[in-house]
Amino acid sequence: MKKSFLMGVAVAALFAGAAPAADLKFAPGQDSKFNWKSYDEFKAAHADLKGQPLTIFGPWRGEDEAFFRSVLAYFTEATGVDAKYSSSENYEQQIVIDTQAGSPPNVAILPQPGLLADLAGKGFLTPLGDDNSKWIKDNYGAGDSWVGYGTYKGKDGKEAFYAFPYKADVKSLVWYVPENFEEAGYKIPTTMEELHALTDQIVKDGGVPWCIGLGSGGATGWPATDWVEDIMLRMQPPEAYDKWTTNELKFTDPAVVAAIDEFGKFAKNEKYVDGGVAAVASTDFRDSPKGLFAVPPKCYLHHQASFIPSFFPEGTKLGQDADFFYMPTYAAHPELGKPVLGAGTLVSITKDSKAARAFIDFLKSPIAHEVWMAQSSFLTPYKGVSTDAYANPQMKKEGEILTSATTFRFDGSDLMPGKIGAGAFWTGMVDFVGGKSAEEAAGEIQSAWDGIK
Amino acid sequence: MLSQIVSALGVVVVAVFACSAYFYFSNKILDLALPVSDGDVRAASRNLNRRAVIRPWLFLGPALFLLFVYLVYPVVATFILSFYDRSGLQFVGLANYKWAIGDREFRQSIFNNILWLAVVPAACTFFGLVIAVMTDRIWWGNIAKSIVFMPMAISFVGASVIWKFIYEYRGGNDVQIGLLNAIVQLFGGTPEVWISVPFWNNFFLMVILIWIQTGFAMVILSAALRGIPEETIEAAVIDGANGWQIFWRIMVPQVWGTIAVVWTTITILVLKVFDIVLTMTNGQWQTMVLANLMFDWMFRGGGDSGRSAVIAIIIMLAVTPIMIWNVRRANRELKGH
Repeated sequence: MKKSFLMGVAVAALFAGAAPAADLKFAPGQDSKFNWKSYDEFKAAHADLKGQPLTIFGPWRGEDEAFFRSVLAYFTEATGVDAKYSSSENYEQQIVIDTQAGSPPNVAILPQPGLLADLAGKGFLTPLGDDNSKWIKDNYGAGDSWVGYGTYKGKDGKEAFYAFPYKADVKSLVWYVPENFEEAGYKIPTTMEELHALTDQIVKDGGVPWCIGLGSGGATGWPATDWVEDIMLRMQPPEAYDKWTTNELKFTDPAVVAAIDEFGKFAKNEKYVDGGVAAVASTDFRDSPKGLFAVPPKCYLHHQASFIPSFFPEGTKLGQDADFFYMPTYAAHPELGKPVLGAGTLVSITKDSKAARAFIDFLKSPIAHEVWMAQSSFLTPYKGVSTDAYANPQMKKEGEILTSATTFRFDGSDLMPGKIGAGAFWTGMVDFVGGKSAEEAAGEIQSAWDGIK
Repeated sequence: MLSQIVSALGVVVVAVFACSAYFYFSNKILDLALPVSDGDVRAASRNLNRRAVIRPWLFLGPALFLLFVYLVYPVVATFILSFYDRSGLQFVGLANYKWAIGDREFRQSIFNNILWLAVVPAACTFFGLVIAVMTDRIWWGNIAKSIVFMPMAISFVGASVIWKFIYEYRGGNDVQIGLLNAIVQLFGGTPEVWISVPFWNNFFLMVILIWIQTGFAMVILSAALRGIPEETIEAAVIDGANGWQIFWRIMVPQVWGTIAVVWTTITILVLKVFDIVLTMTNGQWQTMVLANLMFDWMFRGGGDSGRSAVIAIIIMLAVTPIMIWNVRRANRELKGH
């Protein structure tokens, strides 16, 4: 008995020893495209945290999780903090459960300001302080917008800065395969009118223009909300967009219905979408872009955010095998400029500790951004990073869209209350694609919104 | 992994030890506190009586405590929460109940739940009974039974994932990888996105639960059928009854009690149906049921504890009469024997 117990302990110790002692992807101080000075400074300032625990809960899974862990390794290495990252497919629900149950992680990373505002209102978040909000304002592209997206009313009804933006996505992108465009002789459209013309041209040539997939398990429908938001920003001024996300502008407003209808022009045309209209709602958004790379191509265009290359076939070289163009604006609305729709994950402290504060500080160092940038699938509006660190010229191009943005608007569905932005809006879009009219779908979303007041 | 196993084993050992220690020592203390000594006979008999009164509570205590903490308290807390607003801080009276009655999605869920209740228990019991009767007569009956029973071993989510592939739809000219669509195509039909066909998609989801639960019904009913005295069937055969008559007039009445048990058990299960809907549709395409609606209001984006509490209470109220009836029937049966 005693012997086997000792054996067990020995084997356990063996396995524990095998856990990697924070492998750093890029050796500190070597590659000059990284800002190693910021790393050393951070290390010097936070040497007193050795062995302290830190739990982080975030939305990143799969490849992204591996990237985030590689960034976290630098934090661990610098501070000696015992940091643990976990995630969940249904992170929106998980974080509500964890906070309500009184056992939140130290740090929660969420892509939904609406959800964070809810949590802040219930007193589950710790304010990050004015110096952090000022830092964002000074160092991020369109910093004011970002501060706004992290500022909520707390339990006491007072506004404070609760969520630190880290990692952004640009959504106003249309993906295509340059080779296919060359072969067919298509040109990149510079206006929405041209995009419509191109769509028709592809059909005329016997092809299918779009791959659209709204499937996402329990979150089915969200890719359509991105479409509608992108179109909203191109048909209405940003102020109307802001009012829409707070329901000052109702879903049943002709402006919103028109935007939904405009999306329907692409998605509800049997000839425009790969697999026909019926396939739109049922195709998984992760599978959807694969049609671009089929031979012969199943489609030529795919509207999706900057994260989508993670789901491209393995070995796809960005810029060569796949590229993107900015989702064009209407020539009929020149006054709206070139708006950018985006999103991002926001880091908030759900259980205060010194290590959690140090983690926020870590995110202010360029190295926390550059390590992930260099491994792709990471964009940042942080102006202090070296853009040479981006893994490829395409990402650099996207990153520059963010740092130089003036009209930047956050994903609208993430700003709306959870029941709408992560519920009724999704369902409404699925119903719309399934055959309901834009008025009907919008009416149902609006009545759901009326229901939560 | 190994360290988890080691610590899990450790917890089991400690828990078992702690439990036995509790019973042993609490018993001992009781005996010491109320001594039965030879000296005073009257005191001894009084103490003996007291011991008899206290001992059951001592032994039931932990179970009652856990029952209270995990069952009674949550029910009461949920009931109270149902009168408060979304944050659970502001008293709003019956507003949440009023909302529920007026809400389209809520009524849809009630309708769907009734649909599930009407179809699933009946189908499971019917198929279970038919399979039990038929497999009794054939040499490969046990193999067939094992196959029918096997889905019971699969989790609801696992089963849903399997059926997701059966209903899978591929657009346009792609090869259909979904079994159902492949069959439809084989016979010249047009493939459908089954899980988004309004109204009927409810039935496609129900099939999954029927598939899982028929095995359960079959096993219980099969055992009951075995208990039918051979003589009654023999007598019926001699009297010239055909198979159909034997089934309906002899077998079914004799296993009626068991049918009721199977039926109610599955009914309660159906009222709690959640995983299948979450995995397959998450309530979209008008397949929402009460349990999912509750989860939706509680956990999607911030949460509304008031409204989700109302829905939880309604689910509980719906289950209660069936439970009471079931318990009463079980009691009657116990007394009868």
